[in-house]
Amino acid sequence: MTDLELELRNLAPHLDIPEAPPLAGAVLTRLDRHRRRRRVLLVAVAAGVTALAVALAVPSSRAALLRFFHLRGAAVTAVDRLPRLSPGRPLGVPIPLGSASFRLLLPNGPRPERVYAGDGGYWLRYRGLLLFEFENTNGSEILKKAALGTTDVEYVDVDGEPGIWIGGRHALYLPGGPPRAAGHALIWQHGRLTLRLEAAVGREQALAIARSVR
Amino acid sequence: MDPPGEAALVERARRGDSGAFEALVVSYQALAFRTAFVIAGDAADAEEAAQDAFVKAHRALGRFRSGRPFRPWLLTIVANEARNRRRTRGRRTALALRAVVPGAPAEDPEAAALASEQRERLLTAVERLRDDDRDVLACRYFLELSEEETAAALGIRRGTVKSRTHRALERLQKELR
Repeated sequence: MTDLELELRNLAPHLDIPEAPPLAGAVLTRLDRHRRRRRVLLVAVAAGVTALAVALAVPSSRAALLRFFHLRGAAVTAVDRLPRLSPGRPLGVPIPLGSASFRLLLPNGPRPERVYAGDGGYWLRYRGLLLFEFENTNGSEILKKAALGTTDVEYVDVDGEPGIWIGGRHALYLPGGPPRAAGHALIWQHGRLTLRLEAAVGREQALAIARSVR
Repeated sequence: MDPPGEAALVERARRGDSGAFEALVVSYQALAFRTAFVIAGDAADAEEAAQDAFVKAHRALGRFRSGRPFRPWLLTIVANEARNRRRTRGRRTALALRAVVPGAPAEDPEAAALASEQRERLLTAVERLRDDDRDVLACRYFLELSEEETAAALGIRRGTVKSRTHRALERLQKELR
């Protein structure tokens, strides 16, 4: 070992590193919360199955509702045909990143090219990726989506928080606007926020991006 | 080398024994926090990173290969969490020296002042290095991680640890001139 290496090693005890806080309690509480959420999710899936059974039992609704998925502030309905879809519309008013009413969560990697306030939340535009974040305070659904029954729609787990993956073209309804055409998307809860990611990526890549948000 | 009995603890944790996982957290919380702190430079970020790392490690236990050492595997997750936080902040908080080392024997005040000045100069030079040079030195000398553990923590190959350490020491030497 050279002198410089020895000096570095001898420096270590002099570094001002705080005592490690006990972590086990907090970690176990979070794991327990995660287990409970999974149980809730299973109940939600069971409720969806029941809704499907009811829908199929009633002939008049057989053509409309095939499956139903729900998250806080968002709902996805699987239907047999999509409505007429409008192309994209302006995302809202451009704002600086730091001026949102809550701290915006960012995926790992470059910062967003633009941030817009609109549709009851914030749109973060990246190259090839669109992220929408909102805080659901009154329990209403801000995001409503309709996907064809043949489209891959499923509940997913994003680091212990529930999410819905939509692996195909679908209709996105935002408050006060016509249904918009949307591609692959992942919606998930993150603490108090609900996020929606839209990008031409597969399920695993979308989940990896979602798991990286901080 | 993992402590004796650890493989059994990991195996029990994989099967859902929360007591076994708790024992693993208790064994590694100091290392996890210290590693995260050295990378992120902030106590709150380090605590959050270490906590998140344990939660993610628990969820990923199913993918952990039996018989492999647990410590480097955990370090990979911890260091990744800490780097993510550092990236989100957009800057690194520089490490600082303790004002007094508790329990240190009384020294000649003049010699103590000189040693302290030298340490300050060395740490400032380390903190001026680019992140990858600084991180490899921090892992090897501040955290005293092995080459294998450093490779795991930094997500690089063992050979790269050697070459990067060599390069970082050269750059540090230049900074000190």
